[in-house]
Amino acid sequence: MLDALDKNLLRTVADLEGIPKGAYNIRKNGKLLAREVSANINIESNPEGTGIVVTIKPGTVNESVHIPVILSQAGLYDVVYNHFIIGEGSDVTIIAGCGIHCGGVEPEGHAGIHEFHVGRKAKVTYVEKHFATGPGRGRRTLNPTTKVLLAEGAQAEMELTQMGGVDEANRTNEASLGPGSVLLITERVMTDRDQTAVSRNDIILSGENSRANMISRSVMKGNSKQTFYATIDALAKCFGHIECDAIIIDNGTNETIPALKARHPDAELTHEASIGKIASDQLTKLMSLGLTYDEAVNRIIQGFLK
Amino acid sequence: MLDIKSLCFSVSDADGIEGGSLRTIVDRFSFTFEKGKFYAITGPNGSGKTTLAKLIMGINPVTSGKIFFEGKDITELSITDRARGGISYSFQQPARFKGLTFRDLLAMASGTDDETKLLALIRRVGICSLSFLDKPVDSKLSGGEIKKIELATTIARNPKLAIYDEPDTGIDLWTIGPMVTLLKKEKDDHRTTTIVVSHNRAFLEAADIILLLNQGKLAYVGNLKDALPLLTDLSICNYRVCGSEDDVGCFR
Repeated sequence: MLDALDKNLLRTVADLEGIPKGAYNIRKNGKLLAREVSANINIESNPEGTGIVVTIKPGTVNESVHIPVILSQAGLYDVVYNHFIIGEGSDVTIIAGCGIHCGGVEPEGHAGIHEFHVGRKAKVTYVEKHFATGPGRGRRTLNPTTKVLLAEGAQAEMELTQMGGVDEANRTNEASLGPGSVLLITERVMTDRDQTAVSRNDIILSGENSRANMISRSVMKGNSKQTFYATIDALAKCFGHIECDAIIIDNGTNETIPALKARHPDAELTHEASIGKIASDQLTKLMSLGLTYDEAVNRIIQGFLK
Repeated sequence: MLDIKSLCFSVSDADGIEGGSLRTIVDRFSFTFEKGKFYAITGPNGSGKTTLAKLIMGINPVTSGKIFFEGKDITELSITDRARGGISYSFQQPARFKGLTFRDLLAMASGTDDETKLLALIRRVGICSLSFLDKPVDSKLSGGEIKKIELATTIARNPKLAIYDEPDTGIDLWTIGPMVTLLKKEKDDHRTTTIVVSHNRAFLEAADIILLLNQGKLAYVGNLKDALPLLTDLSICNYRVCGSEDDVGCFR
């Protein structure tokens, strides 16, 4: 059912060796390849047939769902709309990811629109990895969108990673936070050659005592370009922070545009941003531990994107 | 074991009256450091101590002169090659990293990521608590904590020659004593040739030999007792008057 190519893509985007345990939904070239539900986690296709609805029963703890997508068919642009309904008081991990293997000259792409409804006092950890590979010269595009709605006291931790090989990416993250809810987004994007990546983030802190922390780590190699927009809009007494760091290697370029909007007198919003080459004191330190210049660069980037 | 011959380091002085003229930071420094001895390099601010230490590690390129380490000319070698050859360096202002932990640095320094060995290293160093291991070495660390980590990574290299640039900066009073004891013990147990750049009396007292630098030149070599009058003399205001006496202010 899974060929060697599929297995390699799955391993990279979902840390999976073959078919996972527990609930999962594997989509290959725009079609369902395999699905398994569990007692507490239901997965069904949406009525339009354009994606899946994952429903997690209230109080479900320590369970995980894998929903990888793999593409290896030239000329395909796959769009999915997935919904996640996370029941009250549950604590679950969702592992998504998209692996593209491009063997030809025709373009391949994927747009995943993921919407999360996180119930009261529920906690979700969402891990999403994107990766493209293959000998073909077809353009590989990935346009992931995540929308997060956090109910009172809910928590979401989102790890969004684009590891390489993606020619063009338009990433959108939107979130709306209810009272006492917490959102942590960590986005890591590495681009190389002539690749481009744009990330747009809009976080609305609408509930009292809500907290959001958006961390972005970008590495631009070759002639690649990344643009990062992040806006935190505060409508209540809340706390918001944006931290965006970009490391330029070779001739990469970066634009970083953080925005803070305090529309409530008790909003506390901060941001820190930096763009630049690897600091020379970091390189010198690692070289003084016996690493070569190139090893030091790799080690610093590896840590930065970890 | 470390033989320095007529070492010079100059930079172009953009602020000079004749813009682009050369300013000499280390001026014809010659000295032979012997294996297993503890040296303290001291002198007023701006006397070239840190620059000299960096020249030995290869962080600054020499302008002229030669450096021999265990009989081999290392003047043109990279930092990496000097590190692999057995020289280890503790920075006055250690680098901070986003995404690297003390464990990562210690593993790179010691060449192993074996938990038992890393914990043994921390015990050997003594001044870092075991809970430090997974601390990120980032801007959240205090000045004292990062200096302890810096010292640990230097010792973890098992160096033949260890250079410490002002190791006590930011270190609390209670730790300076144990730190001195540690460097002496490392010297005794492993015959590590130890060079400490410092103003701190605790290190000067621990040293076998004091080197006093002034304006880039080696001004004195010997024991602490005989160095003290010179140190007192040099520690007075060394600003030279330029222009009228009325414009001069001492900010010490």
